[in-house]
Amino acid sequence: MKENQLNGIELLRALCLEFGPTGCEHNVAAMIEAQLGDICEIRRDRMDNVLAHLPGSGPRIMISAHMDEVGMMITSIDDQGYLRFTNVGGIDSRVLCGRRVQVGTAEHRIPGVIGAKAIHLQSADERTQTTPVDRLYIDIGASSREEAEKYVDIGDFATFDSDFVRFGQDDRLMRCKAIDDRLGCAVMIETLRALVARGGERPYDLWCSFSVREEIGKSGAKVAAYAIKPTYAIVLESTAIADLPDVPANARVGEVGKGGALSIADRSTIYDPAMLEFAMSCAREADIPCQLKRYISGGNDAGHIHKTGDGVRCLAISAPTRYLHSGSCVAAVADYEHIREMVLAMLKNWDKMN
Amino acid sequence: MLELLKKIVKAPAISGREGAVADVISALMEPICDEVYRDKLGNLIAVKHGSAPEGERKKIMFAAHMDEIGFFVTFIEDNGYIRLAPIGGINFVAAAYTNVIFANGVKGVLVPETGTKADALTFDKFYVDIGAKDKKEAERRVKIGDYFVIEPSVTRLCGKRVAGRPLDDRVGCAIMVETARRVPTPRDDVYYVFTAQEEVGCRGAKTAAFAIAPDVAIAYDVTGTGDTIGAKPMAVKVGGGAAIKLKDSSVICSTELVAALETAAREEKIAYQIEILPYGGTDTSSMQMAGSGCMAGCLSVPTRYIHSGVEMIDLGDVEACVALTAAYLVRA
Repeated sequence: MKENQLNGIELLRALCLEFGPTGCEHNVAAMIEAQLGDICEIRRDRMDNVLAHLPGSGPRIMISAHMDEVGMMITSIDDQGYLRFTNVGGIDSRVLCGRRVQVGTAEHRIPGVIGAKAIHLQSADERTQTTPVDRLYIDIGASSREEAEKYVDIGDFATFDSDFVRFGQDDRLMRCKAIDDRLGCAVMIETLRALVARGGERPYDLWCSFSVREEIGKSGAKVAAYAIKPTYAIVLESTAIADLPDVPANARVGEVGKGGALSIADRSTIYDPAMLEFAMSCAREADIPCQLKRYISGGNDAGHIHKTGDGVRCLAISAPTRYLHSGSCVAAVADYEHIREMVLAMLKNWDKMN
Repeated sequence: MLELLKKIVKAPAISGREGAVADVISALMEPICDEVYRDKLGNLIAVKHGSAPEGERKKIMFAAHMDEIGFFVTFIEDNGYIRLAPIGGINFVAAAYTNVIFANGVKGVLVPETGTKADALTFDKFYVDIGAKDKKEAERRVKIGDYFVIEPSVTRLCGKRVAGRPLDDRVGCAIMVETARRVPTPRDDVYYVFTAQEEVGCRGAKTAAFAIAPDVAIAYDVTGTGDTIGAKPMAVKVGGGAAIKLKDSSVICSTELVAALETAAREEKIAYQIEILPYGGTDTSSMQMAGSGCMAGCLSVPTRYIHSGVEMIDLGDVEACVALTAAYLVRA
């Protein structure tokens, strides 16, 4: 093992803690490149997707996971030194107030906290409503505009500032920001390492795209797919799972800890039925838990990938995640392992895919 | 035409699951085309090579979509009732209390939860009752990820009028099959593309057109009309002839192609009307913008009650679309 090489949950922890809101993925990209080292050909495209290539003879397969996380962008600084901001990606305003954030750029960041007018100062209407994002602010401890401007520029980013914590019985769960979709990135890194270690001829030509800008317009994967021209694509994602007490069983999407969730369809893609069947049979044969997503909602990189060029057959495997797009995404350690094993099982049996 | 239509409507095939209807159409096209194949998104492509010398032939793409709106099974309740997710623009008022059929032939009824008010008819209030005693029995017949549709039917009404489903867009598929039969030796290369996934955003036509890179593309689909009680003003009516589309919400058709179609209709005395649809979209826009683009238009079959179980058309309009396409191919 190389020095500084991280594996498994340690790798995931490091990736989750890295700063990488949509449009500012440089640090995550650099960490991924460092973790992959020279095991395969790696390049960056013009949008900063990191593309790793493991050549082989056979159909071209693209695996995509996105590097970016939801966050905020600073839109103005007021006279008292408070920062106004807008969301980058879909964030429920209710998860914002009172949260710790990191504000800055890839190179430099400072701590802050998201605040709002105190409850006793709010009108009766304001108290019963969610404070909209334009009435929230980030407090970086500055006492004036001039002081704030020393540390922050308009256009700088912010992300949730969270620890990576394992909890629950036997530490089976984990909690952090950005599990969506650093989990997919970690799976791809470990998949590439495993395939290189296994060696031998590969009956497929594999491209892994660590994609930028999924949370806004999924544009990174779109250009990556156009360049790669794959026949098949596997999108590794995190999905909001809602296995919660106040959600009826038929709306729960799936359950944390019961394996990767395979999508039948979502708002942007109807997945390839043969790939879905193949994935389930690989999981069954290798005794890897997996589940079908029970709800049709959302979308991911597949939305663009499947419509690229003359079409791409797509599958999505998602880590079941509670409280997605918050500073405390919750996922199961076992699901990380199940998804990693499932991707490897599929690639191992790829000659049976038709 | 009616017999052909009856044959094509029968196979249940929601967006992304077009295999069953592709099998039926494939069998019809194979004897009369040079090449029939399916692509990665499930489009069925039948090619008839033109008689003109190589290099002097245009590539003409015709597209009608095979998919229909329908439902995926998402969950099976303990009591055996089946929960669903809609695919495409389902009108739940029209879908309430209908017979449904699964791809494997299992039948059921689609109903809203008891007590649901008419203005609260959303998909999560619906379930399918297949008559199963409990979850166990239901799971023997149906599993999560299976799909179902409102039962297909075609009923002959007055004159040349027909009602049923899914006329959207099996009638377009029937027009293309009939055109291929009627024009056995076209001058140009003709690609009859029976597209996938139109109802969820015209996805199949996009990738098919990218691969084919046609010079001219014509979509065949249904269009709304202004001839029902309560309809918004629209100068298209059932029985008024083939509707030559000028625009809908997704496309402005090639003026050159529209003019060519109008000329052909006038010269051959084929009934036609001009369609300006104030909403909606078809494969036309996907084809127009695929790759480096092409000259695109659409011939529509005026249809009442679209996306219900009683879509209504006039077979005279269907015949006009076939005749106009054949006339266009001679002049293209």
